[in-house]
Amino acid sequence: MEIPTLIRQPGRRAWGGLALVVLLWPLRLPAATLAEMLKDPQMNPKRFASHFGDFAYEYHREIQPPEVFLTYKRGDCDDYAVLADRVLKPRGFGTRLIQVKLAGQIDHAVCYVNEARAYLDYNNRAVFFTLARSGASLRTIASKVADSLEANWTSAFEFEFIGGKKELVATVVKTAPPESDPRPGQKSGNAVKVDF
Amino acid sequence: MKDKIILRVLTLFGVALAVLVFVALAAIRNINRATAGSDWVNHTHAVIMEADALQSAYHAGDGALRTFLLTGDPRDLAATREAFGEMSEHFEVVKALAKDEAAHAPKFARLQVLFTERMEFAREVIAAREKNDAGTVRRLLAASAGNEAAQEINRLIEKLQLAERELLTARDKASYLQAQTTRWTVFSGLIINFLLLGGAAWLIRDDIAARKRAAALLGEANATLEARVRERTAELVTSNAKLLAENQERKWGNQALEHQLRYNQLIINSITDLVVVLTKMANVSRVNPAVTQWTGWSAAELINQPLLRMVRLKPPDGDSGPATADPISLALRTGREIHEQPAVILAKDGREAAARLSMYPLRDRDKVVGAVVTIHILTNPV
Repeated sequence: MEIPTLIRQPGRRAWGGLALVVLLWPLRLPAATLAEMLKDPQMNPKRFASHFGDFAYEYHREIQPPEVFLTYKRGDCDDYAVLADRVLKPRGFGTRLIQVKLAGQIDHAVCYVNEARAYLDYNNRAVFFTLARSGASLRTIASKVADSLEANWTSAFEFEFIGGKKELVATVVKTAPPESDPRPGQKSGNAVKVDF
Repeated sequence: MKDKIILRVLTLFGVALAVLVFVALAAIRNINRATAGSDWVNHTHAVIMEADALQSAYHAGDGALRTFLLTGDPRDLAATREAFGEMSEHFEVVKALAKDEAAHAPKFARLQVLFTERMEFAREVIAAREKNDAGTVRRLLAASAGNEAAQEINRLIEKLQLAERELLTARDKASYLQAQTTRWTVFSGLIINFLLLGGAAWLIRDDIAARKRAAALLGEANATLEARVRERTAELVTSNAKLLAENQERKWGNQALEHQLRYNQLIINSITDLVVVLTKMANVSRVNPAVTQWTGWSAAELINQPLLRMVRLKPPDGDSGPATADPISLALRTGREIHEQPAVILAKDGREAAARLSMYPLRDRDKVVGAVVTIHILTNPV
């Protein structure tokens, strides 16, 4: 009995199609613990995002501890952004935590990676392009994030998450002239210190 | 007229296009303004909400602090930290949002002082509680009895919110007016365009009606022309038939005339007397065969020659006087007939014979145009 040609010897087209599918198939890695992520020598923004393909969205008022987030595979944008900052910063990536305040919606947080000129967004965890490209300015990132959610933004701030507390670094307001935006790295002082 | 209508229609369309472009530009500008207005309304809402959240976070922190002072539970302390942390975050955000409003600057400065004092108080009292120093805790709490700072914070935040609500009203009104302006601009543009296009349509309709009328008139003229052509053709056909009949009749007439002439010619030719037709100048114009036979002259030799070449007149019988120099010319001029005038006929070869000559003038409407001469030979030539 003669074997069909396609099965016996795949043509160039079949190989090309297969290669395209493989290339476009989102990279999925199983969930890992915080320790595994911190130890992963190949860790980078794209690889980080690939661990969260099967995570569910669940809003929490406070930022969850990373272990809780990774164990239950449930969380929200700031859990993801803060964890990305925690994992990527020791690997030498220049990460920035950005929180965007949206009109009529809850705030949205992302982790911007300077080297990738893109930000990690929990909403993109299960799509092929897990990194959303954007300019580095706070205003540009805020506009990009708001556009992705089809919403208007009112203000955005960059913060650091140290010792379980947020510390605001810089703030921009949409209606303020862009010239008055803080320069990259410029910190707004005079914040009320909660140091107890 | 046609060019004028095209020009008018093109002008109307040009104006309509200009209005459309103006409306589009105005609408885009108004949309941009409306977007900016919407941003300001959102901004004001954000200030109010942040102020509200600031107040809530402050009270939540204060409540959690008091609970911690009572229980000493680290979870209450964590809740205190979290609440005051949120308060700090909201305060930073609301300061950034309202930093361009100078009227709020003193309020923020005072709030900064009050919050800082409150954090210092919290630090001290928490430290005392953690050391289980109940006396210090009581003292500190007694010092803040009445919670005047909290009341002042409330008042300042409420003032801030009140001012922002007034701004919100003003900005919302501006946004509403902007929307109204946009609506009116678009509607006005629409109505103007509708009128202009209506005018253009009316002109086109008018032009089409005029063209239809012209076409109908042309049709009528063509029909009239065709009727006239038919009528004229019929007349021509009739005339042609009539002419053909006339020609036929004329042909028949000519044939009859020719026949008559030939018959007359036969008569003249059969006459043995010499017959000569003269012109008014008494020259020979025609002769009968008897002339050429008797005289020996050919007709060509005689034609246009004077009659006297072949005839010489004698005085009338009984008249002994000299012969009149040219009685024939005289008779022609006067229109008088000559009867039986004695004459001598001369032949080409010199023969002569006595003859009697009669002449009868030919008249055309009482005017003598020539004469017929008959010569009756009396003797044989000598």
